[in-house]
Amino acid sequence: MGTTPATDHSNTMTSGAAGTLNAGELRDQLAQLAQQHGISRWDLGASCSTDTSVQVDRGEAKQMKGAQRSAITVRVWNGDGLVGITSTSDLSASGLEKALTGARDASAFGNPDDTPAFSPLATAPLPQLEQPRHAPQPILELLSTLKQAEADLLGRHPAISTVPYNGLAQRSSERLYLNSAGACRHQALSTASLYLYARAEETGRKPRSAGAVRLAYGAGELDVSGCIAEAAERTISHLAYAPIDTGHYTCVFSPEAFLDLIGAFASLFNARAVLDGVSLSSRESLGKPLAVPFLSIHDNGLHPGNIGASAFDGEGTPTQRLALLEGGLLRNFLHSEATARAFGVAPTGHAGLGAKVSVGADWLEVGPTPGSGGGQQGLDRFHADGPIVWIDSLSALHAGVKASQGSFSLPFDGWLIQGGEPRSIEAATVAGDIRQLLKAIVGFEGEAKVTPDGLCPHVWVEGLSITGEA
Amino acid sequence: MVATSQLQPSPPCLDVFDPSWQGRLEELLGQGRAAGADLVEVFLERTDHLGVLAEQEAITSVSPAFGMGAGIRVFRGERDGFVSTNDLSAKGLRQALEQALGMLGLELLTNGRNGFEGLPELRDHGAGKSDWLSGSPQLAEATARLLEGTALLERHGKHLQARRGSYARDWQEVLVAASDGTFARDVRLHQSLGLNVLAADGEHRSSIGRRYGSHGRPDQLRSWDAEASALEVCESAGAMLYADYVEAGQMPAVLANRFGGVIFHEACGHLLETTQVERGTTPFAEKVGEPIAHEAVTAIDEGLSDGAFGSLSMDDEGMEPQRTVLIENGILKRFLSDRAGELRTGHARTGSGRRQSHAFAAASRMRNTYIGAGQHTPEQLIASVDKGLYCKSMGGGSVGPTGQFNFAVEEGYLIENGKLTKPVKGATLIGEAKEVMPRISMCANDLDLAAGFCGSVSGSVFVTVGQPHIKVDSITVGGR
Repeated sequence: MGTTPATDHSNTMTSGAAGTLNAGELRDQLAQLAQQHGISRWDLGASCSTDTSVQVDRGEAKQMKGAQRSAITVRVWNGDGLVGITSTSDLSASGLEKALTGARDASAFGNPDDTPAFSPLATAPLPQLEQPRHAPQPILELLSTLKQAEADLLGRHPAISTVPYNGLAQRSSERLYLNSAGACRHQALSTASLYLYARAEETGRKPRSAGAVRLAYGAGELDVSGCIAEAAERTISHLAYAPIDTGHYTCVFSPEAFLDLIGAFASLFNARAVLDGVSLSSRESLGKPLAVPFLSIHDNGLHPGNIGASAFDGEGTPTQRLALLEGGLLRNFLHSEATARAFGVAPTGHAGLGAKVSVGADWLEVGPTPGSGGGQQGLDRFHADGPIVWIDSLSALHAGVKASQGSFSLPFDGWLIQGGEPRSIEAATVAGDIRQLLKAIVGFEGEAKVTPDGLCPHVWVEGLSITGEA
Repeated sequence: MVATSQLQPSPPCLDVFDPSWQGRLEELLGQGRAAGADLVEVFLERTDHLGVLAEQEAITSVSPAFGMGAGIRVFRGERDGFVSTNDLSAKGLRQALEQALGMLGLELLTNGRNGFEGLPELRDHGAGKSDWLSGSPQLAEATARLLEGTALLERHGKHLQARRGSYARDWQEVLVAASDGTFARDVRLHQSLGLNVLAADGEHRSSIGRRYGSHGRPDQLRSWDAEASALEVCESAGAMLYADYVEAGQMPAVLANRFGGVIFHEACGHLLETTQVERGTTPFAEKVGEPIAHEAVTAIDEGLSDGAFGSLSMDDEGMEPQRTVLIENGILKRFLSDRAGELRTGHARTGSGRRQSHAFAAASRMRNTYIGAGQHTPEQLIASVDKGLYCKSMGGGSVGPTGQFNFAVEEGYLIENGKLTKPVKGATLIGEAKEVMPRISMCANDLDLAAGFCGSVSGSVFVTVGQPHIKVDSITVGGR
């Protein structure tokens, strides 16, 4: 990669036009500054991106946006081995120096009982990801595509009056991880996304809405027609709605809804949360049953369906596939370097970069454990004996999930299926406890579906509490 | 207007937004106008953030961050293009302008300032605030206060499995210049404190948190009553630890003051922003002058309350804030509007153009939003309910594109025969704004405010919610 000389910020580490990171120059400059300030141990995460996006409103451009972003996070270890950190969007030489000295000053307040170190895997070979890079399209081309998509969606049904939430965006980005021990990670990526969220209303009835999302490595690769068709189908399917009686129902979660729910309770698998005492799991939970004996959950950021996957985490550890739950038993936790050290295992590639390093899941694979039978067979929500609540999407997870308690109470969009006929539910919440839910799974329906958050089939759960407005 | 003819302005000072920026900004605004834009706006920002986390008896995270950037917005007709960048150099800003113009089919010309006569004298709302950053607590003081907080939690709490104290200080300097003559600077200082606990006893668990926030009060952390805060959190956690799950159904509810105001924020406030009018997602678009709420309800949004989290000296489009009466005795009076909202909906600007940072275009957003005080006492509201729910403390909430809202109850109690009885947990309140607003039938006389963060189209912004105790005649309570 090349670098473009400074504007009137001297020695800026990104080129103004392309917004690309220059790893070598950044490393050399940081090493020099560190030496000047007597800092011998440091690491750095950097990112830069160029984004363009458009939104439309009834055939007109509503907003067109562009952004050039850059950010650096620097960590330093002081003479006592304590860590400090500082982040900045100022990649000039003076900004870099301010970040370095800020991190050094913050290190005086580092936690001696939980000090991160370099990941032992920060120089291990990285997985090869198949991520074709695409040149960005001109923004007016994006606009034309989105206008056409909106028009197509509006034409699908007379009740669809607007597409109030929509967007077509593309991003070219790079990220780096460097440390004073010689680690140097770099990844460049292009991604694009399309979302269409339609609103439909029939005379004398309440407005209804639903949508769809698509991701790809370039705007030209997006499945625009699929997104339109899905948004239309889902929106139209909610037009004929009725209230639901409050009670307990067998529920079928869509792949998206089940992945959202598991993601909201990912602290079950998070070693950081375990060490902090805010997870429902403990060290002793490993090997113990957490769910029905036919459920498996893996974290697999490397799955080809994970558009925009990272090859390495914030500490430079390679991304990997990790078994979290097999046969209903808790197998592994997600780790950073520090939590892995505390558990006596290797880092798993799920760390951020910080003084206190966060840990998070990448992309989940949910399904039957091979050889387990997979629970009840032949499940088909349209041929079930009793009423079935089909939960299509969950809302307000930030407010309705108490991850450290295990409870949830969430509004959802979905259908009540009786005698094979689905009828949209006017408004309702589903409530329960995640531990009970994982042990109340009946089985799976259909093939696993690739979604932006993971891979999952429809999941049947019995006895969940539904509150309706009937 | 003070016109200037400086064609090659000297480089502005990068360490402060002062009048040295005038020349460069005038050049940008003039070039944008010459290219055919109706209006060009430049938003410059510098930030200095400090976050500190204490857990149990240790400081576990200190995370300083600083940055700078610009957002350039160009209007032509009702359309606009917006570009943000971290590069404040002349070249970087010019490239951003060029890109924004290109979005509207306009081209940057070499020279020319058609239709732009220059910026007036700077309106400096930041004058007198130069000591806000230096006057706020430094690291040693902040860490000591947080550790005091977690120690008090340990002293007052029972069965506490985790104790956390958090502190965030967000300093921001902004400069806004627009080709309509806007040229204004401000300095903001937001500080927030949080205390959280997780109590656990066997299978019983409760997690409770409280946040306290201020604007423009460097001394907030020093004057914080840590003892009272710790007591409040521990009492709540203790009350909820053994609580049963609430039974679902329709019932009357009394919502406590302070953060109870999130019901108005989510159920109605967002629907009174012109961004919702533009999208066609508010049921109140054509209702100005008509009743949309019970006559007991008067609701206000303002940016003026001294020290409140959502207060501003100017909004992010350079306009001074107002006290905006949204609803008066149940009648819809006004919408909250920003520059684009005024252009596209005709609702006059209210000083409500807000954004998280330079990376977002401003949008109409709430500031300090609350239902006004009524005549009753809180006890009268509770006494009027035979069987219902008392929501002492609220969690977060949201509103969807059809006006359907929801929010979580963090600490709740049953009301039976006009009295509070046992604690209940797991409640979520759901409903639709136009249905619930007429059901707010009683307001008490104890209006109070609480700090919060609101995420929406222009990012996460500091807000205040508030209300007195209110009674909702009937609402759907989601539970077990």
